[in-house]
Amino acid sequence: MKYASLLLAFVLLGCSGPGDSQSSTGGGASGDDTPRIALVMKSLANEFFSTMADGAKQHQAEHADDYRLIVNGIKDERDLSRQVALVEEMVASGVDAIVIAPADSKALAPALRRAMQAGVVVVNIDNRLDADVLQREAIAIPFVGPDNKAGAKKVGDYLASKLTKGDAVAMLEGLRTSFNGAQRREGFEQAMREAGIVIVASQSAEWEMSKANTIAAAMLSEHPQIKAILAANDSMALGAMAAVKSSGRGGEVQIVGFDNISAIKSAIGEGKVLATADQHGDMLAVYGIEAALAMLEDPDQTPADIETPVELITAETTPK
Amino acid sequence: MLVQYAGLLIVLAVLVGVFSYGSEHFFQKNTFVSIANQIPDLTLVAVGMTLVLIVGGIDLSVGSVLALSSAVLGVLMVQYGWPLWGAIPLCLLAAAACGLFNGMVSIGFGIPSFIVTLGMLEIARGATKVVTDSQLIYIGSAVEPIGEPLPGVLLSPAFLLAVAAVIVGQFLLTCTVFGRYCVAIGTNAEAVRMSGIRSAPYSISVFVISGVLCGLAGLAHASRLSSADPNAAIGIELSAIAACVIGGTSLMGGRGSVVSSFIGVLIIAVLQTGLAQLGVSDAQKQIITGSVIVIAVIVDALRSRWVNEH
Repeated sequence: MKYASLLLAFVLLGCSGPGDSQSSTGGGASGDDTPRIALVMKSLANEFFSTMADGAKQHQAEHADDYRLIVNGIKDERDLSRQVALVEEMVASGVDAIVIAPADSKALAPALRRAMQAGVVVVNIDNRLDADVLQREAIAIPFVGPDNKAGAKKVGDYLASKLTKGDAVAMLEGLRTSFNGAQRREGFEQAMREAGIVIVASQSAEWEMSKANTIAAAMLSEHPQIKAILAANDSMALGAMAAVKSSGRGGEVQIVGFDNISAIKSAIGEGKVLATADQHGDMLAVYGIEAALAMLEDPDQTPADIETPVELITAETTPK
Repeated sequence: MLVQYAGLLIVLAVLVGVFSYGSEHFFQKNTFVSIANQIPDLTLVAVGMTLVLIVGGIDLSVGSVLALSSAVLGVLMVQYGWPLWGAIPLCLLAAAACGLFNGMVSIGFGIPSFIVTLGMLEIARGATKVVTDSQLIYIGSAVEPIGEPLPGVLLSPAFLLAVAAVIVGQFLLTCTVFGRYCVAIGTNAEAVRMSGIRSAPYSISVFVISGVLCGLAGLAHASRLSSADPNAAIGIELSAIAACVIGGTSLMGGRGSVVSSFIGVLIIAVLQTGLAQLGVSDAQKQIITGSVIVIAVIVDALRSRWVNEH
């Protein structure tokens, strides 16, 4: 309702302003010494990130006296410049901490350095910032998140157990500029190498379903011997699944993904997708917020990275 | 003079008022400094877009040209180790070449600039990906002086450059023969031709100006991100057109003001920042932004009707 009134305020051009929309996620906290934490996300149109944001909002509602939360996302994952602007806007509005899922592992570093210079506590979640760039910017930002490489390795190992040595597979990578994409690719590659399975084709579908669909279809006709497709996220796995289906080879080509989005659950239940990895997205932002609160509590401690769990999801682990 | 901008300034003031009321953290120096240092790219692009719209054209390629010029800058500085001041001319040259192509092809062959610049939108974006190998190029501190606030002034050189572009653009439009011819071409190209004036050089120059301004915007963008991003500024053409239209520039040509477009940019930027500070959800941001664009145009239309009647 608060937003409806805000909207109304704009439509009527502002006779009745929004009363208390400052504590934007409905926390009952007030008073100036409650820390304000800004959660800066990637695209909230992506279910993975909206789940993450919802988890954070719920956590805030349960801990309304401890902190206030402002959640913002960008319209798509390529809109770096908007995300940099969001960081600057949050610093300008005087938040105490920023918990960020960077849209790019390099380009956000300078903006975050400026935020830290302005005295804001910064915690990195989801997509790890590039170590070289952090060093060049002379800053240390703790990373709270899963080991994507280990997660992808788990998924790859499970797939390998269903294939035989010498089989051919194809890979759909995420955005090549993203750290997660590179980590998942390395995890997949390692698992395939150890099992003696050959990756005959590998392309980036930039995390997107429709792009993955086109590329997977081309891969399937180019390399008919493909036994499996490894997708670096579930959206691309669903795109690959549609491509396999339209090539008339449903059931013959195994597909694995990553993220465990809700759409993939039924596909796994029906056996159309073999496996995915769940990095407990709803908890990722919460872990980051808890780390930020701890850093605000005790500014002298050296911020350390925190690794969060990744779980293998298959038809066996999914309740029907 | 001020009456001309009154409608827009009222909208801007109302927005600032609503946000200041809604968020105790909005109405303060930091917020306005951060807005000022974010808008150079859009401002520069919008100045060029205003001129192009006035001669009756449209430039859809601005975002891609911006990305291409920042990519040229990034590659020269990182892979070839050029200093910033050496790389800037080439970055602007690349952008000017795109503008020249847009102008020459659309005017020379009499093809609607909508189509030609739509082609350039794809060409320049593709060229950007070739130049950068689709990778983000991290340039680092070498490029930052342009985007970082000057000590004491708090404003970045990029912002001052953008403001200078607005002033020069407005001067060009209202106080020079060139500007008056541009308005005339946009109003009635046939009449201009009948008066014995060759319109082609003017129209082509306007596209080149738009290109060069995109190059400057690319520079501002690269310095703000400390990197050249191959996906930079996708969709900025729509924001720029929105800013121009909010500012009363006609999509049919012949009417427009660079200063009004700048106020349009400010309206968009204030809205974006204010909504972010309130933490409004994305879907609602879109609805509100769209509504404000329409309302701003209505307010401006009412203003001009009022002026005409009195």
